[in-house]
Amino acid sequence: MAKPGHLTLRNIRKQYTVNGNAFTVLDGVSLDIAPGEFVSIVGHSGCGKSTLLRLVMGLDGEYEGEILLDGHRLRGTSLDRGIVFQEHRLFPWLSVTDNIGLALQNSPLTKAERRDAIQQHVELVGLQGFEKAWPNQLSGGMSQRVAIARALVNRPEILLLDEPFGALDALNRAKLQAELQRIWQVEGITMILVTHDVEEAIFLGDRVVVMEPRPGRIKRIVPVATPHPRVRNDCNLLQVRESVLEEFREETIETISNAA
Amino acid sequence: MSVQVIPSTPALRRAAAAVAARTRLWQGLALPVAIIVLWTVATSANWVDTRILVGPWKVVETAWFHLTHHVLWEGLGYSVARMVSGFVLGGFAGLVLGVLLGASRIGDRLVSPTLNTVKQIALFAWIPLISVWFGMGEPAKVIFIALAVFYPIVFNTYEGVRSVAREHIEVARAFEFTRWQTFRRVILPSSTPQIFTGVRLGLIYAWLATVGAEYFLKAGPGLGNIMIDGRERFLMEQVIFGVTVVGLVGFAVQIIATRLETRLLRWRTRSNA
Amino acid sequence: MSIAADTTTLARQVLVTKTAQRPWTGRLLRRSGSWSLGLTLPLLLPLAILGAWQSASTWHWISPQILPAPAVVWGTLVDLTASGDITTNLGISALRVLYGFLIGGIAGLVLGLAMGLSPTVRAYLYPTFNAISLVPALGWIPLLMMFVGIGETLKIIIIAKATLVPIAIAAVQGIRNIPENYFEVGSVFRFSRWQVVRYIVLPAAVPSLFNGVRQGLNHAWLALVVVELLASSEGIGYLMVWGRQLFQLDVVIATMIVIGAVGLLLDQGLQFAESRLLRWRRSAY
Ligand SMILES: Nc1ncnc2c1ncn2[C@@H]1O[C@H](COP(=O)(O)OP(=O)(O)O)[C@@H](O)[C@H]1O
Ligand SMILES: [Mg+2]
Repeated sequence: MAKPGHLTLRNIRKQYTVNGNAFTVLDGVSLDIAPGEFVSIVGHSGCGKSTLLRLVMGLDGEYEGEILLDGHRLRGTSLDRGIVFQEHRLFPWLSVTDNIGLALQNSPLTKAERRDAIQQHVELVGLQGFEKAWPNQLSGGMSQRVAIARALVNRPEILLLDEPFGALDALNRAKLQAELQRIWQVEGITMILVTHDVEEAIFLGDRVVVMEPRPGRIKRIVPVATPHPRVRNDCNLLQVRESVLEEFREETIETISNAA
Repeated sequence: MSVQVIPSTPALRRAAAAVAARTRLWQGLALPVAIIVLWTVATSANWVDTRILVGPWKVVETAWFHLTHHVLWEGLGYSVARMVSGFVLGGFAGLVLGVLLGASRIGDRLVSPTLNTVKQIALFAWIPLISVWFGMGEPAKVIFIALAVFYPIVFNTYEGVRSVAREHIEVARAFEFTRWQTFRRVILPSSTPQIFTGVRLGLIYAWLATVGAEYFLKAGPGLGNIMIDGRERFLMEQVIFGVTVVGLVGFAVQIIATRLETRLLRWRTRSNA
Repeated sequence: MSIAADTTTLARQVLVTKTAQRPWTGRLLRRSGSWSLGLTLPLLLPLAILGAWQSASTWHWISPQILPAPAVVWGTLVDLTASGDITTNLGISALRVLYGFLIGGIAGLVLGLAMGLSPTVRAYLYPTFNAISLVPALGWIPLLMMFVGIGETLKIIIIAKATLVPIAIAAVQGIRNIPENYFEVGSVFRFSRWQVVRYIVLPAAVPSLFNGVRQGLNHAWLALVVVELLASSEGIGYLMVWGRQLFQLDVVIATMIVIGAVGLLLDQGLQFAESRLLRWRRSAY
């Protein structure tokens, strides 16, 4: 039998109401994600990427279409799915360990097991020595690592990441991308990464989903065949990058000619 | 979380919002109405001593009497005039001192510790001293009100000026602003919101102090007299009416203060949106 | 990052050199932060006031009836303390504040949490609560006097009301200002209602609640002085009224000093507690 955790999105449509007017954020989004796969989603900001992740996470239940996990419709949130928000959303009044421990409030682990799990995940994201620190004593990159540890500590089957490295400088970002790749290989879980950084999407993803805005739709899905672990200047990756960037170039030309 | 059913068309949505607002209004009125009903029943069925708790009707009668006689309106005029004088005096002093202390580190070290200590003397503890030094008349009352207004305004102005972002000051320095330009272009605009918070609090305190002044420095006409007079003559209905009037004026002052603040700070909410 | 940091440092250095080149104002500013001046400056003003006060009485600028000499006030303060007048009355007042503050504080906390957590409770109670809180404590006194007389009950009710309002408002606002984001985190980890209150609402509202408690205590102390000035035969406020009636300004001023000292003590104590309790707010930079 196949591993569980098969995610299916069928014809998702989502509307928001602003000042009494409904506008469509997502339209006709369909996607199949196999267990253990790494899927990247790229698109301009505002094209509904965060909204899509919120739907998959179960934070928002008002949409049309179906989101199925192993054939069953999603209802609400679950500890089997973890999320790293765009902003780290750590609680400022809790130390690093307590922030991670918060995720285990409703886990079946014993107290000792919890302590071990927390320590293990602090090490996984390389934050030994900062266990007692408060969030506002951490740099942006460190906060994001804590958020990743907090999302992983429940050992979810699926991890959703919403532009987790968006606010970081280039050096830190490259480092954390490499670490995320390592964690993904070690843990063997499904990851869905939302980003507006094409290079990041290609470096990490088995497939890259290119979205277009107004309303948010899937424009193209680009497979990236290069095996993991990858190196950044792999020739195949560079080729895929050219082809994805081409999609955005067309879009820009379209927008400009539409505006004219 | 529970799943809410949200109506889909704008018209339906607006109707639903209107219904929700009306429901909230009724819910808010439920308790006051219940109290008045209980009060009416209790007094008319003689559950309570009606010499102590008079019926609502009696209060309405007294209210009508006062509202149609000039004493109330004259008293209101005196009280408001007093409040405004005290507010202007204390507010001006607080503003000037707050800016000076906030902008000058030497001034801050020199004055703030003393000011912070003196502030700890509860406001009303000044009354006996003020009454000896300035008597019971208008000057004493206005000085007391000014003192009440002074504290919130001086501290909020000080805080506002002090908390100007260092980055903004550095911008001013990079452009070689003079001291006056820095004050006029950077410090003043960025501390305005907090200064207005002080002004709003100052207005509220001004009314509190006005009532207090009429209480403790009993000389001359004023709104508080209705209440005090009612208590001395043991006229419950007049006391209830007096308390209501004091509360209503306080309410009006608060509304005016809040309106003024939001109006003057409109640029801020807009840029935040 | 390193490049950005370098440019900022560079910019700072340029600015620092500029200030250093400026004439004496810049230098004096920095020197005033040094130890000796930092401690001397705050003492200058009180010393000046004391000096003026002393000269006023030495050269009889002001009648001692209106402004007794500092030494007289000090003597009275010592005498009143030695005779137990201050301690006894202060004890009575402290007890009143304690009862009123506890009753009002707990009631305010419960009311505020209920109104903050439940929109239904808020819809029913908030308008009435608001109306009641708008009438200053001073306004309620005559009404309450007619119901409960001028005994201990009146004082404790007034102090409790003065405490209740700021604490309840702080609780409501503290809860309502919690970012929606935090609740989403709670829902990601499948928090129960109780867990949401325990792990998100309460800690997130603590800074606001602390402000409320500080204000509440401040108002309680203020209300105590008011009721004791108005209707009392004992307590620190009464001591003041007594001094005023006998035209003994030394007693009045001595009592003011005691009231100020207690206020200062309360304020400092709470500030200390706050800095201990809210250590997580201290940032690294
Ligand atoms: N709660 C909301 N209410 C109304 N509009 C929203 C809400 N959340 C997002 N939007 C709008 O939906 C669109 C997509 O937002 P989002 O999913 O955050 O985009 P992305 O993450 O791709 O930048 C944007 O136009 C945004 O303004
Ligand atoms: Mg987004």
